[in-house]
Amino acid sequence: MINRILAVAVVALLLAVPYLATNPFYQHLMIMVLFWTLLGAAWNLLGGFAGQVSFGHATFLGVGAYTAMLLYLKLGWSPWLGLILGGLMGALVALPIGLICFRLRGPYFSLATLAVAEIVRLVALNWETLTAGPTGLLITQLPAMSWFGQPLNWESKLPFYYIAVALALLAMGITWLISRSRLGAYLLAIREDMDSAEAAGIDTTRTKVTALAISAFIAGLAGGFYGLYFRYIDPDVVFSISMSVEMVFIAVIGGIATTAGPIVGAVFLVTVAEFFRERFQVGHLIFYGLLMMIVIRYMPEGIWGRVRNWLPGAKARS
Amino acid sequence: MLAHRVETLVQSIVSGVLTGSLYAMIAVGLTIVFGVMRIINMAHGEMVMLGMFGAYWGYALWKLDPFVSVLLWVPLMFVFGMGVHRFLLRKIIPSGELNTLLYTAGLSLLIANLALFFWTGDYRTINLAYALKPARPFGISVSVPLAVAFAIAIAVTGALYLFLSRTDTGRAIRATAQNPDAAALMGVSVGRIDMITFGLGTALAGAAGVLLAPSLYLYPTVGEILVVKCFVIVVLGGLGSVPGAIAGGLLLGLVESLGAVYVSVAYKDTIGFVLFLLVLLFRPTGLFGVGRS
Repeated sequence: MINRILAVAVVALLLAVPYLATNPFYQHLMIMVLFWTLLGAAWNLLGGFAGQVSFGHATFLGVGAYTAMLLYLKLGWSPWLGLILGGLMGALVALPIGLICFRLRGPYFSLATLAVAEIVRLVALNWETLTAGPTGLLITQLPAMSWFGQPLNWESKLPFYYIAVALALLAMGITWLISRSRLGAYLLAIREDMDSAEAAGIDTTRTKVTALAISAFIAGLAGGFYGLYFRYIDPDVVFSISMSVEMVFIAVIGGIATTAGPIVGAVFLVTVAEFFRERFQVGHLIFYGLLMMIVIRYMPEGIWGRVRNWLPGAKARS
Repeated sequence: MLAHRVETLVQSIVSGVLTGSLYAMIAVGLTIVFGVMRIINMAHGEMVMLGMFGAYWGYALWKLDPFVSVLLWVPLMFVFGMGVHRFLLRKIIPSGELNTLLYTAGLSLLIANLALFFWTGDYRTINLAYALKPARPFGISVSVPLAVAFAIAIAVTGALYLFLSRTDTGRAIRATAQNPDAAALMGVSVGRIDMITFGLGTALAGAAGVLLAPSLYLYPTVGEILVVKCFVIVVLGGLGSVPGAIAGGLLLGLVESLGAVYVSVAYKDTIGFVLFLLVLLFRPTGLFGVGRS
């Protein structure tokens, strides 16, 4: 019950934020919070539920971003179609990557995903005919579109804000559904003990690849959104190790394997980091590092995981 | 024409070996920590970065030549490493490999961003007078600071080898790497050995950082690239194996420098990663079959 009330309150708050905060800086902040929620939720499906720590999720973000941008710039396709295709392309790329990397376990899997992400970044950097290499891709103008007869103003942050809300709710909805599904139970079984899961008849590779594909789909959506919102991408940003690492931090600090963890982590980390960046320009990731160490040491269930236990009815849930 | 080709080949082999020896030194630090504690230290690259900045500040503030100040920074990094183990990692390691991986990733981000905050992200260089002109033995151009660093790296690695094979503490380290429980039963204080090993690993990384400082641009996030290279090296050589890490370091140095000449400058780093993936998948014990999977 309390969860439902909380969920409704959060959604209502999300929809009302642009009216409460008309300052573009705060609107930008909220968009970044939602963007990182999306990435945290993507990573969480694999890293949180299945315990497969990927340090290479920027690959899917980058693939999504390049798909959406290239389809618009080269073929003139609608960016919003591109956004969805970006997610699908992320999932598609995830299949071979999963089949390769899931032959490895634990930290070895993590290192392999890191290597794959670096290979993809280097290819994107050097395949200049497709990606324009280090120059990056720039959208000078987004196409005129309307919503219920109202022309959308791309110069304002509002359309992006509502798209980000929709995407973040979608990601959290997917997480919630998975957490209550058979797939979710399989993933938890894999996290707790891969061999027992296998012995219990779970096709672990297939389960993990499925989770990775869904996760990559969400990361790809986030990438497409990133490209359209910033209108500029280059390989050293969207395919960077720090992109991969930051989403891990959002998910783990927020609370692994929870539906609300990524948004809690994103609200917390992005706000602190942005205010720090406003003031000092560099070093805003100090808090990410510090909080990660505190969370792992003192509350491995993450901020939301801890808070959730204080809510009434916590005993009923596991 | 042929002479020219031979010269290019020899030239790239020499520079590959010189850089590779320093890669090897960093990788040895990572691999002994893995061998003894079974942890992958994501913050290892930051230890190299700290060594580099140590060399830089020693030079900028006190006019200390990096090859002199290495004598100061190595013991300091050893103590720093022991402190990191004692006060930060000791409680985390028993909670599992993945927790430690995430924890050290946090530590890595913390150190790199503290450095960024205090020292800014500017690219810095150490301009040694004798570094301006390369030495030319046998008509091959050799960077002087890199050659000195190479000599020191060999001496340090040799000393480490003697330490591990001849001294009681060294034997205790190897025993703990083989089997911590059995080592404890033989009277080895495993907690103390863990701490010393982490200090040693950190000192090696710091030393390599000091030695590399005159030859590279230094900036606070340089550790990110170095630690990834280091993973490649230790996996190539077999995780936990010291000779494997040395061979892997030289191999990666050679692959990079030969790849830049004969394949393409743009893809030289890709070759290392592809090799890494192939080894992880098909020979997880390392190319030389000495590591443990």
